[in-house]
Amino acid sequence: MSKESDHDFERDLSLNELLHGIDKQRLETALHTLLNAPLAIFNQQGECLLGAPEQAKDAISQPLYGELEPIGRLTAAIPQDRLKAATALITLLLRANARYLMASDLHLQTQQADFEELQRRHTALEQSEQRYKALAENLELRVQQQVKTIESAQLKLYETEKLASVGRLASGIAHEINNPIGFIRSNLTTACSYLDALKKIGAMLPSCQDMSALKSAWQQADMDFIQQDMQDILAESIDGTERIAAIVKDLKGFSRIDETAREEADLNMLIRQVCHVATAEWRDKAELHLDLGVLPLLHCHPGELGQVFLSVLMNAVDATTVLGNIHLRTAFQDNQITIEVRDNGRGITETDMPHIFDPFFTTKEVGKGMGLGLSVSRNIVQAHGGNLTIKSRPTGTRVTISLPVKPPVTHVEI
Amino acid sequence: MANFDEENNRLTIKLVYYGPAQSGKTTNLMRLHDILRTDLKGEMMLMETANDRTLFFDLLPLGFKAPSGLLIKFKLYTVPGQVIHDSTRKAVLSRADGVVFVADSQRTQSTNNGEAFSNLEDNAARVGIDFDQLPLVVQFNKRDLPDILSEAEVLQRWQSAPWPVLFSSALAGGGVVETFHALLHQVYNHLDQEFDFQCLHHLSQAAFVDQACGRIDNQA
Repeated sequence: MSKESDHDFERDLSLNELLHGIDKQRLETALHTLLNAPLAIFNQQGECLLGAPEQAKDAISQPLYGELEPIGRLTAAIPQDRLKAATALITLLLRANARYLMASDLHLQTQQADFEELQRRHTALEQSEQRYKALAENLELRVQQQVKTIESAQLKLYETEKLASVGRLASGIAHEINNPIGFIRSNLTTACSYLDALKKIGAMLPSCQDMSALKSAWQQADMDFIQQDMQDILAESIDGTERIAAIVKDLKGFSRIDETAREEADLNMLIRQVCHVATAEWRDKAELHLDLGVLPLLHCHPGELGQVFLSVLMNAVDATTVLGNIHLRTAFQDNQITIEVRDNGRGITETDMPHIFDPFFTTKEVGKGMGLGLSVSRNIVQAHGGNLTIKSRPTGTRVTISLPVKPPVTHVEI
Repeated sequence: MANFDEENNRLTIKLVYYGPAQSGKTTNLMRLHDILRTDLKGEMMLMETANDRTLFFDLLPLGFKAPSGLLIKFKLYTVPGQVIHDSTRKAVLSRADGVVFVADSQRTQSTNNGEAFSNLEDNAARVGIDFDQLPLVVQFNKRDLPDILSEAEVLQRWQSAPWPVLFSSALAGGGVVETFHALLHQVYNHLDQEFDFQCLHHLSQAAFVDQACGRIDNQA
């Protein structure tokens, strides 16, 4: 709304305003001719607005009315009735002007109000645009923060899954290592007693003159056997330490998850290592059939892929019922490495199928799995630009992992 | 708000006739101009287009002098009823001291009446009028036409509303002055709180209403 009372259409219009825009010269000439006498128009303040005040000042007057009250007067030395008629004529003129002034003032007022309203809305729009802009910028930042949080949570999940599978393997591996350690220790103890027998014969050497006494002592101690057996048990012990070294080597190869750099790796070797590390898991439950084709080296995270193979292998083992048969097949075709793990286990039910990649979904008994294996495995395979698909029937499950040898550039670095 | 001009000892009271298009707002003013015998009665100022529809507003000035010498001046306005003139309606409604809502009694006009009334409420809020405090009278006009809502129907519909409901046929003049009366009663009560008519100007409510209408000739 306009604050200027100058343009308020409701204001009381003064005579000065009502005469505004009227050609006073022509009005005066016309009136002078009609009245045939000098005339003058005064406002309420006594100011002459039109005519000859000096000539008309002693003449009679007739008031000019605004809406209700007089706003001025007409003065002329003519009879009263003619003066009244002249006043009526001027009033008509003033009223016409009043209509115009009020209408134009109202028009201005509403235009102004509309314009101000428009500006107000414009400002409001601008403000809301600013708010949205700020929100959008903020949003990006928050999304970035969330992504970081999710990424770190994902890393933790990977760690958890790694720890879980290592934990599961630990007892089996301990057994595998304990076994050779056991016979190495026993062999070494035997070797110590053999050494005692050798020492006794050695002690006889400086004082002995008689070769036959020495011979009988040799025979008495059964040194011929000892010599042979010593050789055997040392060879066996060396073999044992080599077995331990091999297990440790496999374990090392498998557990290099922390190394972030990719390297060229032989997947067949990786699969063999995994099978070795997990020997204790499958040995008594299933027969493992390896059908490994010729594969090129793959630029990958070997530790992570090892984790995938272990997860899939463990699932196959866990699915076996009576007579387990697990087939591991690798092949290279069309620039793509395919690893297929097939079991003859119980399969996945139709109701479970849609959830198998959901984190923490598991059908295994408490303590045997966290439900992260497949979801983490698929993420790892996808991070390598590959695919992990599962087909299952009640008579067995087939997991197919395909990995492009030159994976497309991907931002999902783990 | 009523405008008190100390210099000229004049109080100007603004009354607005609001309502849907062609409900008879201008006719109300024209009949008042014909009927009322107020001491000071100005000429009607009509601002209409060729189709008899109000373009800006109509204005009827009335006035009388209170015993204290205070000139009480009424400016009766109509607003343009057509939807497109909302800015003008808002400007005319601004600072109103009282409103007559002129509704069209014809059955076909119920929706228009409702829309116009809520437009009045909205615009009152926009120009800073406290609608709950605003003196307001509802007039159901065109009682002379066929196919109109019966008085019982109208009264039942407006039962819960706090405003007086009156009936009129402005074309013939019936109910027009009664409506004005009803509004003046409310306006007096409302303005009396601020201007203390009774004590300062020796003006009772009855005298206020009588003087505003003047000594009315015998009308049917």
